[in-house]
Amino acid sequence: MTSLANPEKVSMADVALDDSLRAEDGGRRLGFLLTLPAQLLVLFIAVFPLLMQLYISLTDWSPLDGIGWWQAYELWNSFANYTDLMADSRFWSALGRTALVMAICVPAEFLIGLGLAILFVDDFVGKRVFYSIMLIPMMVVPAVAGYMFFMLFQSGGPVNDILSGLTGMNVAIAWLSDPTTALIAVMIADIWQWTPLMFLILLAGLVGVPEDQVRAATLLGASWWQRFRTIVLPKMKTIIVIALAIRVIENFKIFDTLYIMTGGGPGVATETISVYIYKVTQQDLIWGYVAAIALVILVALSILVSLAISRMNAAKGA
Amino acid sequence: MTAIHLQNLVKRFGAFTALKTMDLEIRDGEFMALLGPSGCGKSTTMNMIAGMENPSEGRILFDGKDMNGVAMGRRGVGFVFQNYAIFTHMNVYDNLAYGLRMRRLPEGEVDSRVRKIADFLQLSPLLKQPSAKLSVNILQRLAIGRSAIVEPAIFLLDEPLSNVDAAFRAVMRTELKHLQRQFRQTMVYVTHDQLEAMTMADRIAVMDHGVLQQVGTPLEVYNNPDNLFVAGFIGAPGMNLLKGELADSDRGLVVDLAALGRSAPLGPALAAAARSNGSRDIVYGFRPERVSLAPSGEGMTMPVVFVERIGARTVVHLGTDAQRVKAVFDNDVALEAGVSAAIAIEPGSVRLFDAASGHGIREA
Ligand SMILES: Nc1ncnc2c1ncn2[C@@H]1O[C@H](COP(=O)(O)OP(=O)(O)OP(=O)(O)O)[C@@H](O)[C@H]1O
Ligand SMILES: [Mg+2]
Repeated sequence: MTSLANPEKVSMADVALDDSLRAEDGGRRLGFLLTLPAQLLVLFIAVFPLLMQLYISLTDWSPLDGIGWWQAYELWNSFANYTDLMADSRFWSALGRTALVMAICVPAEFLIGLGLAILFVDDFVGKRVFYSIMLIPMMVVPAVAGYMFFMLFQSGGPVNDILSGLTGMNVAIAWLSDPTTALIAVMIADIWQWTPLMFLILLAGLVGVPEDQVRAATLLGASWWQRFRTIVLPKMKTIIVIALAIRVIENFKIFDTLYIMTGGGPGVATETISVYIYKVTQQDLIWGYVAAIALVILVALSILVSLAISRMNAAKGA
Repeated sequence: MTAIHLQNLVKRFGAFTALKTMDLEIRDGEFMALLGPSGCGKSTTMNMIAGMENPSEGRILFDGKDMNGVAMGRRGVGFVFQNYAIFTHMNVYDNLAYGLRMRRLPEGEVDSRVRKIADFLQLSPLLKQPSAKLSVNILQRLAIGRSAIVEPAIFLLDEPLSNVDAAFRAVMRTELKHLQRQFRQTMVYVTHDQLEAMTMADRIAVMDHGVLQQVGTPLEVYNNPDNLFVAGFIGAPGMNLLKGELADSDRGLVVDLAALGRSAPLGPALAAAARSNGSRDIVYGFRPERVSLAPSGEGMTMPVVFVERIGARTVVHLGTDAQRVKAVFDNDVALEAGVSAAIAIEPGSVRLFDAASGHGIREA
């Protein structure tokens, strides 16, 4: 303790510093070793099913064949599943229908959600109550929502009753039996259920827009629409992309509510890609083919989303 | 280019009154500083002029025209926010161009005006820079430029210099004054820094606790404060304010300052004013800068408590706990804590205030 100013001590300290640097290097290696099992596990969980899927998609394997999936090589068919898929018109029409549902539902959810969010930024009487009501659809179990809309859209159901009341005529549309109206009904259900999520995310974004910048824009003579376009939207860009990405991915997989309402029918009128996959799996049991479809969709969706995100980053860098 | 008239302006937030019956005329092309301690209602006044807040009572007139109900975007008011409120998602150029583009001016004219103002504010090399990472000094100039470019008739600045460093503040004081001379706007400038108010303003409106205390040129408020608050607030250090009692002596009317003894006789005009004021309880005021050392035997003798050497000058604290006097001398003054000093007060610099009301007693 007496040698605090001792030069020897100082040099000891230097050595200690060197040691600690070396220890940090070793520490990194140790850390890597310690986390390796977890990393391997994660890798296994993520990659193994993919590889398995890829493997099965190159065979004619079905659980009815009486051999384990790892023996599927006995039924090897090269890329036959993929070439079949290219020629499968039911697949393509399901894909097209899915895209159509997405192209209508997601923008509708976005616009309605944004409009509601704008209303909810300002205070009004009963805001809290409305806010709670707004969130209910999101919390309803999709199967329950499915049955609810199934009943709403019966030809003697409440939707027709309301329309009758409004028009004064006797409306008896068989919503779920007609190809066009069935698709509309299914989309209405999806919009009802998922607009609140959009609303919630966009409201968070709107509240985060700096108020003083909006005021500054107002004082510089910007109208409401000009402020919205030049200040509010640019500030919300990231959150809008996230909201859209979530809904695009989720909507592409639209299944539960829809399946309960129409089962994909009438005919194949509401058969989306998920419904199609489900039917092929459960009814036809050609799992090799299903694996091929699922893989193609996964790749397509990944490309779509990464394109959207890279565009967002490019816009941010500009 | 527009005169502003605040008529009986009152602002309440719930039960709290932030501004009490403010009456103020700001002339066309005038540089008016709103000066006062934190929370006295300066920003509230500005926000009402800009239209961001509605008055609870009273009217705001621009050139005689009632602004009640005129939206803030249509008042022709430029506003520089305390925190600048720069559009962080745009570059410097787009920030400057914003107001002109919102008015749908042709891009060619926008460009030439942006370049002109950027030149004036030395922002030209930065035009293409994103504004999110600029230094405070630059943000501040950008905020001024963004408002000035649309050539508002009225320019409101809310403590624009409170966040910048001292050296830059000195530069900006000159530049702002220059800017105002150039564009001839009516300028209202909020500050709690009296140096800024003194150096730039044509007139100063001193406020405290939501009450307008005095309006006048910098010299008027410095030389002839209307009341005790202004006397103590303006000047660094503020005016010495000693409680005393008027007393007659063979040399004329003097002020009895209790432990500090008696003051020199008041001048005839001031003495007459003090007599006609009625009350004997008064406050005796004088500027620390108007104090000199008296030859021994003359002046008022009092102990030196503390000596503050601040470079160019020396501030000496004298007197007792109850009657504290500050005096400003040259930096080489030979006084130390503990000694006694005899001081003389420049006769013409004495100001009297009514002790009960705090109002200044003015010579007729
Ligand atoms: N929206 C509001 N609601 C309630 N009280 C408010 C509101 N805005 C201001 N006040 C109060 O009014 C008083 C005056 O506020 P103001 O912002 O005008 O002060 P200021 O003079 O600008 O002070 P500073 O120098 O700190 O900016 C303060 O006491 C403040 O707390
Ligand atoms: Mg303020």
